[in-house]
Amino acid sequence: MRAVKWFLPYVMRYKWRLIIGLLINTVNVGLMLVNPLFAGLIVQNVIQDGQHELLPRYLTIMIVITVYRSISRYFFAMMFEHTSQKILFNLRRDVYHRLHMQSFSWFDKNRVGDIMSRMTGDLEAIRHFVAFVIYMVIEHVQLYIAAVIIMSTISLPLTFAMLLTTPVVIYAALKQSKGVRPAFRNVREQFANLNSMCGENISGNRVVKAFTQEAHETEKFTQVNNDFFDANMEAAKVRIKYFPVIETCAALLPWLLLLFGGLLTIYGHLELWQMVAFGGYLWMIDAPTRIFTWAVNDTQNAATSIDKVYEMMKQPIMVESEGEETFNSGTVEFKNVSFNYTPFETSELILKNISFSVEKGQTIGIVGATGSGKTTLVNLIARFYDVCRGEVLVGGVNVKAYNLPELRRGISYAMQDVFLYSDTVEGNIAFGVPNAPMDVIYKAAEIADADNFALEMPEGYDTIVGERGVGLSGGQKQRISLARAVATNPSILILDDVTSAVDTETEHRIQSALAELNNDSNRTTFIVAHRLSSVKDADLILVLSAGEITERGTHDELMQQNGYYAKLFLEQTEVTPYGA
Amino acid sequence: MARNTFRIDETLDEKSVFKFNHLMRLGKYIRPYRREFGFTFLFTITSSALGLLAPALIMIVMDEAIPAGDVRLVLLLAGFMLGTIILNVFFMRYRIAAMAKVGQSVIRDLRMGLFEHLQRLPFSYFDSRPHGKILVRVVNYINSLSEMLSNGLITVITDLLSLGIIVAMMLMIDVRLSVVSLIGMPLLFGVIFFIRVKNRKAWQLISAKQSNLNAYIHESIAGVKITQSFAREAENEEIFADVSDSVRKTWLKGVAIIFLMRPSIEHISIFTISFLYVVGVGMITGGTLTVGILVAFVMYFNRFWMPISNISAFYNSLVTNMSYLELIFETLDEPVLVKDKPGAVTMPKIKGRVEFKNVDFSYEEGQKILDNVSFTCEAGNTVALVGPTGAGKTTVVNLLSRFYELNAGQVLIDDFDITNATLASLRGQMGIMLQDSFLFSGTIMENIRYSRLNATDEEVIAAAKAVCAHDFIVETENGYKTEVNERGSRLSVGQRQLISFARALLADPRILILDEATSNIDTRTEKALQEGLNRLLQGRTSFIIAHRLSTIQHADLIMVVDRGQIAESGTHEELMALTGDYHNLVMSQ
Repeated sequence: MRAVKWFLPYVMRYKWRLIIGLLINTVNVGLMLVNPLFAGLIVQNVIQDGQHELLPRYLTIMIVITVYRSISRYFFAMMFEHTSQKILFNLRRDVYHRLHMQSFSWFDKNRVGDIMSRMTGDLEAIRHFVAFVIYMVIEHVQLYIAAVIIMSTISLPLTFAMLLTTPVVIYAALKQSKGVRPAFRNVREQFANLNSMCGENISGNRVVKAFTQEAHETEKFTQVNNDFFDANMEAAKVRIKYFPVIETCAALLPWLLLLFGGLLTIYGHLELWQMVAFGGYLWMIDAPTRIFTWAVNDTQNAATSIDKVYEMMKQPIMVESEGEETFNSGTVEFKNVSFNYTPFETSELILKNISFSVEKGQTIGIVGATGSGKTTLVNLIARFYDVCRGEVLVGGVNVKAYNLPELRRGISYAMQDVFLYSDTVEGNIAFGVPNAPMDVIYKAAEIADADNFALEMPEGYDTIVGERGVGLSGGQKQRISLARAVATNPSILILDDVTSAVDTETEHRIQSALAELNNDSNRTTFIVAHRLSSVKDADLILVLSAGEITERGTHDELMQQNGYYAKLFLEQTEVTPYGA
Repeated sequence: MARNTFRIDETLDEKSVFKFNHLMRLGKYIRPYRREFGFTFLFTITSSALGLLAPALIMIVMDEAIPAGDVRLVLLLAGFMLGTIILNVFFMRYRIAAMAKVGQSVIRDLRMGLFEHLQRLPFSYFDSRPHGKILVRVVNYINSLSEMLSNGLITVITDLLSLGIIVAMMLMIDVRLSVVSLIGMPLLFGVIFFIRVKNRKAWQLISAKQSNLNAYIHESIAGVKITQSFAREAENEEIFADVSDSVRKTWLKGVAIIFLMRPSIEHISIFTISFLYVVGVGMITGGTLTVGILVAFVMYFNRFWMPISNISAFYNSLVTNMSYLELIFETLDEPVLVKDKPGAVTMPKIKGRVEFKNVDFSYEEGQKILDNVSFTCEAGNTVALVGPTGAGKTTVVNLLSRFYELNAGQVLIDDFDITNATLASLRGQMGIMLQDSFLFSGTIMENIRYSRLNATDEEVIAAAKAVCAHDFIVETENGYKTEVNERGSRLSVGQRQLISFARALLADPRILILDEATSNIDTRTEKALQEGLNRLLQGRTSFIIAHRLSTIQHADLIMVVDRGQIAESGTHEELMALTGDYHNLVMSQ
């Protein structure tokens, strides 16, 4: 019910259009009754009675009415399409908007395929409902009412007889409606599974081929494909149960006419012409009865989809932009920060009691073993996640007090897990500054040492790179991602292991270019790295171990402490060979 | 090959307006269900015939029973009719069940075929278009065919049949009037033709726009973290609104054309019928026609338009679905560039000697990635590939597994040209650790086991231990049973690398390929990992791509790849003595 409440305003926005459409359609339904009337007049007056002079008049009326009716119906149908497309557009836009407010943790938990299903299959079912089902129902209900009114003016007892099946139709439709709901829910879920499995297979096509698991993937697919098939067949079973009941009720209409009409006439309660006239109007209650079962089916289908979309829309936003604070400066401070990805569980903390503070323009190196929490730590600065305990301050203000986009505009990330769009090299670099002049792009590319290879590509900066940057080497992807981060000219730049796939010579070039730039612009830089040579010159180096800062200081201080850092540094200057 | 994006419409290059061979192909998918089709057809025909009985029965009641006051006859006829209605219930049940089965089966089979074909397509197919566009073909487009292929088809066959019967009846009643009533047909065909041509173009555009929208949604979700980190939500929403709006606009253009069908038929119908009355009345005046015949004829003529309108509706849905079908068949026709040669044999157990002979390769025409590359390494060797980003290192190892076909030259393993071996037997002996450590949703255990599905738990754990992943795995919530989520989003990138490393190792490969396998792993873990690895690699050939030169100094062969060529090759000592590129690289670290 809440889902309906959420959905209704989307439709009600266009209520005037719908009401006008309804009025036009009411007139049309009325006109539908006129042509058979004139056809009858032609037979009676013109053909049988030979009043030939009436023919042109009758025909003209019939033609005019038909032309008017079919043209106005066309516009009525188009108006419904316009409206439903508008509703779909608004709905889709709102879902898209809402998705972009969701936090990282939400996306960690929800599969791309599920979200895709909501935004494609489910929205399509809703569109079909608005564009087709609603007006079908309205049209047929009007038809039905018109028929009942006309029939009851002819003969009340026979009308009652014809309505005998109506309670059965309503009962069966209600049962069907109830029965088909869980079946449709299952269909939607299997559809999402199909989407997810297939999407994963496409994204992971390299791994599939590398391990020659095509057969295994096909087997997995067969499973979800069959599940989807079964779900659809289950839904069909409900239809098999009730559809014949309703269809039979429709088929019983002429039977009722035959039986009751015949008997009533024989016993003198009815004239023969009344029975003939009833025969002429029979289709007007027949068609609505038959359409009923489809309407119920499609309505339930749409209702399930509305439910599914609503469920996604109502999920709470974990990291909400509530504050109004705007970005002011690049100082960063962590005060006793503890963090866990699942805040309500008692599992171990990813970050424990982290405190440090950084001045504007400083460079901070973060090192530590795999899984020690380095990425998690830097992700808290732009508030991708909320801390469990403690405070993260940027520019002396708690990050929670910021307007979120404002905060993030001051900070740029080159993430470890590089994602590029299937767009041109230029488009990718300009991602954070869509209207940047070309020289900003070139400059950023130069700093990231991406300009040389970009120019060597077939169409230079206009070369399209594949989704996730396929077709580029790991190092090339990292450099475009770095250029993208630099191009926004952020106050805080965060480089999360961004040169791991870049050769050392290039890395040196990148670092010196960055250092030069940072000196000019007073930019705060965080560098997460495994090669200690990358962080050696930092103003502050933090060594993380199992979520805690175990050592801190400059390179020289840390070397003197002779702890993890010093040992690691010595190890890295040694030789650690493969195949020795 | 040019890459496609969400901004670029997919187009089909073809000449013919309507592809009958597409229908024939579709027919193949329906064939296995011809029994269901046959029975449904039979039952539907019977049902319609029984349905036609009702007016006749009512006529008897009115003409005979009522004037005679024969209650018994009314009851008798009612009883008979009730019998036919009950019989119909069974026909109907069969039809719904059969058509649901046929419709769903055909799309299941078609989807299966499409998926299986996708598995055979090379990297380049997936690299050249947004994944959302591939996905929409497999999932959404195929769904839309179901209704047309089941009920739609039966209805149209039934309607064609009843159309034939009606025309025959009309001809039997009066040939002259039949000719008159068919006078509107050329116009109808003209309208159908006009609508078809317009409609087809419109729906091709719609499917292209829908595909764009799908691609953009897919990318937006996959890249949402980047969008949020750059606070670019508003900009993306604008693009999304644009893409979404062009679907809306093309859709409206499409339906504006389709919706013309019904008023056109109504117009043609009303004018024909008027003409029929005029001619008929004229003929009655002339004494060549009786009143009864005209009335009967008009009744049949009214019935004539119902099937016409149904058939044209089917025809429209055919044209609409054809635009989806074309894209589905296009994918099915996508050539399998890398496949087993006819007569390919099973790759013998690899000892590990690898030879590249004058290999030329390019991903896109005119842009050579490898230029006349030749080298040899002996079985059991460790070969390191170093060189600047984009030099062609990954390409070399990709060719070794035959992920792409060479432009020229040969790749030999143990003097056996790899193009003569089946792909499965070749790749089955390789363990590849890709740069992008993609994990599937599932448990850690399942992910490691992916490379060898029959591996025992113990073997999986042993592989994890060998790459130093065991410790962190047991610390996760459910140990090896922990779900990693899509792409392994639960884990850090380094941890994902360790798992995909274990996965490569578990394959028990004869040749191990490590492409930047440890770039996101801390150096200490890396060192421990290497020590374990060295034991495992005994007697196996391995190819290593690495930027940390410290890790490859003891390799048997180091090759410096630069601009698609092997610039230097030799051992660490030999290359240092050369004081060339390698020497410079080492000095800079």
